[in-house]
Amino acid sequence: MTRARTVLCFGDSNTHGQIPGRGPLDRFGRDERWPGVMAAALGPRWYVIEEGLSGRTTVRDDPIEGKHKNGRRYLTPCLQSHAPIDVVILMLGTNDLKRRYFQTAPEVAMGIGCLIYDIKELSPGPGGHVPEILVVAPPPMLDDLHEWAGVFEGAPETSRKLALEFEIQADSKEVHFFDAASVCACDPADGFHLSAEAHRNLGLALAAEVTSMGWPAE
Amino acid sequence: MPDMRFAPPNPIRIADRAAGLNAVSVRSYNERLVLSMLLQHGSTTRFEIGEKTGLSAQTVSVIVRSLEQEGLVTRGEAQRGRMGPPTIPMGLNPEGAYSLGISIGFRTTEVVLIDFVGNVIDSATLRHESPGDNHVHPDLQPTVEHVLSKLTKARRRRVAGIGLALPEAFDDSAELAAFKTWVEADLGLEVFVQNDVTAAANGESLFGAARELDNYLLFYIGAKVHSRLVLNHQIHRSGISTAHDFGLLHFERALGANGVSTQDLWRLSQGSPNYAKALQVWRADCVAFLAGKIREARQFVDVNTVVLSTYAPRDLCQDLCDALMVQEEGLTALVGALQHAPKAIGAASLPYASRFTVGP
Repeated sequence: MTRARTVLCFGDSNTHGQIPGRGPLDRFGRDERWPGVMAAALGPRWYVIEEGLSGRTTVRDDPIEGKHKNGRRYLTPCLQSHAPIDVVILMLGTNDLKRRYFQTAPEVAMGIGCLIYDIKELSPGPGGHVPEILVVAPPPMLDDLHEWAGVFEGAPETSRKLALEFEIQADSKEVHFFDAASVCACDPADGFHLSAEAHRNLGLALAAEVTSMGWPAE
Repeated sequence: MPDMRFAPPNPIRIADRAAGLNAVSVRSYNERLVLSMLLQHGSTTRFEIGEKTGLSAQTVSVIVRSLEQEGLVTRGEAQRGRMGPPTIPMGLNPEGAYSLGISIGFRTTEVVLIDFVGNVIDSATLRHESPGDNHVHPDLQPTVEHVLSKLTKARRRRVAGIGLALPEAFDDSAELAAFKTWVEADLGLEVFVQNDVTAAANGESLFGAARELDNYLLFYIGAKVHSRLVLNHQIHRSGISTAHDFGLLHFERALGANGVSTQDLWRLSQGSPNYAKALQVWRADCVAFLAGKIREARQFVDVNTVVLSTYAPRDLCQDLCDALMVQEEGLTALVGALQHAPKAIGAASLPYASRFTVGP
């Protein structure tokens, strides 16, 4: 029996599947979340691992919610636990835009750059190789963020610059890139989470990205 | 000293994308490798690009995105397979680049403007006052300007250059030098010069009948017959004189229509009582000559395809191909796909070959 290929989806609440406008405990069903949609599209030869944590940043300790929200602290043990991994999808950056971190778009992108660096250094791919790394730029936030407006003051404008900066990082580090805004948008219920339809479109698009990376025939 | 691992990246590739074509120096070998594949195979997928070039998937991804944003490459409609997620084919954007080709012949000068996949956008024919070599037509400059003016301003910025196809007998002249200087200084375009028959072969390889062929023999049937051997995409040309007198001039003589331009020849000859006979004589001579050349070539190299390139009517050329295939076992003979002015279209393919492909 041949080994199933493994995709690790490393993200925040939009990978976790939090329902727009509801609390952190309200989560879309497994088949509705984009990793689930992607798994269904990829078929049984692929093993899709969901690692979505609400509030996760790229490389920043959260002084309010806790250090465990720092994506960089958890990425290495997470990769090692699930190795060998064929594809790592990174979809982060929105939480880095919180006012408490006061970051520009290029600095958020540099956080993504650090994660790419850590993945390459660990090389959790088959045979100790570097896995395929796909950076996904989150769709821009909407202007009306409801009760989150204060936490994310100034963030919508910066969020519109993330895709370009993420792509520059992806290019310079020679990894894959996908702009989620090309297939989905944030839901107006809270202005920064994804609806079921957005999850569906994103999951299908990312499945196509994963397959077009090119895999040897079995 | 900052840790360079985490220094801000240099955004050259992306910052350069928006306006027009990137400068030649920026285009990497790998980018040209990917564009070569697309020019040759038309549509492909990122998967196939990786497989055929040996580049890593991540590298292909970076290159394809960059070419996409530059407007040279477009994504096709997603193809849904029986199972699994859809695959997305990639292709050249016909509007991604333009090129102008000029071929100077014995009787006429042809000017063509083509898009990135070889479609002719506009063309012009300049008749020489008297037939002969070394003509630089006095109206060449305004004609080039006029043809280029068919492009919008935005598209004009995407012109890859001007290709110039010259016959063997062409000697460098002050007029030609002045024309080249004008193109480079006033139009801001690079000039790519090549022998005219070699240019026609380049055109057939890039856009025409020989697109999928690694090896083939090309015969150009003009006033005389010229031959080129293409091996592994490289065009070879004999050092000794390669023009043979079995071309259309031979046909004209058989018709007794000396000095009539070939364009008029087809029109005049149809009604002529000795047309059928003249055609028969010429065809037999020409086929025998071609078959001999093909046999000679096949003694040394393994070529099973010939391409006949000509401005003569297509059915006439198909006739020759059919006759050759009957005579020569295991041979495929194809009519060149560049119908109107194959040498000029070939000339227009030169800037693409030079700027967007890797040498063989």
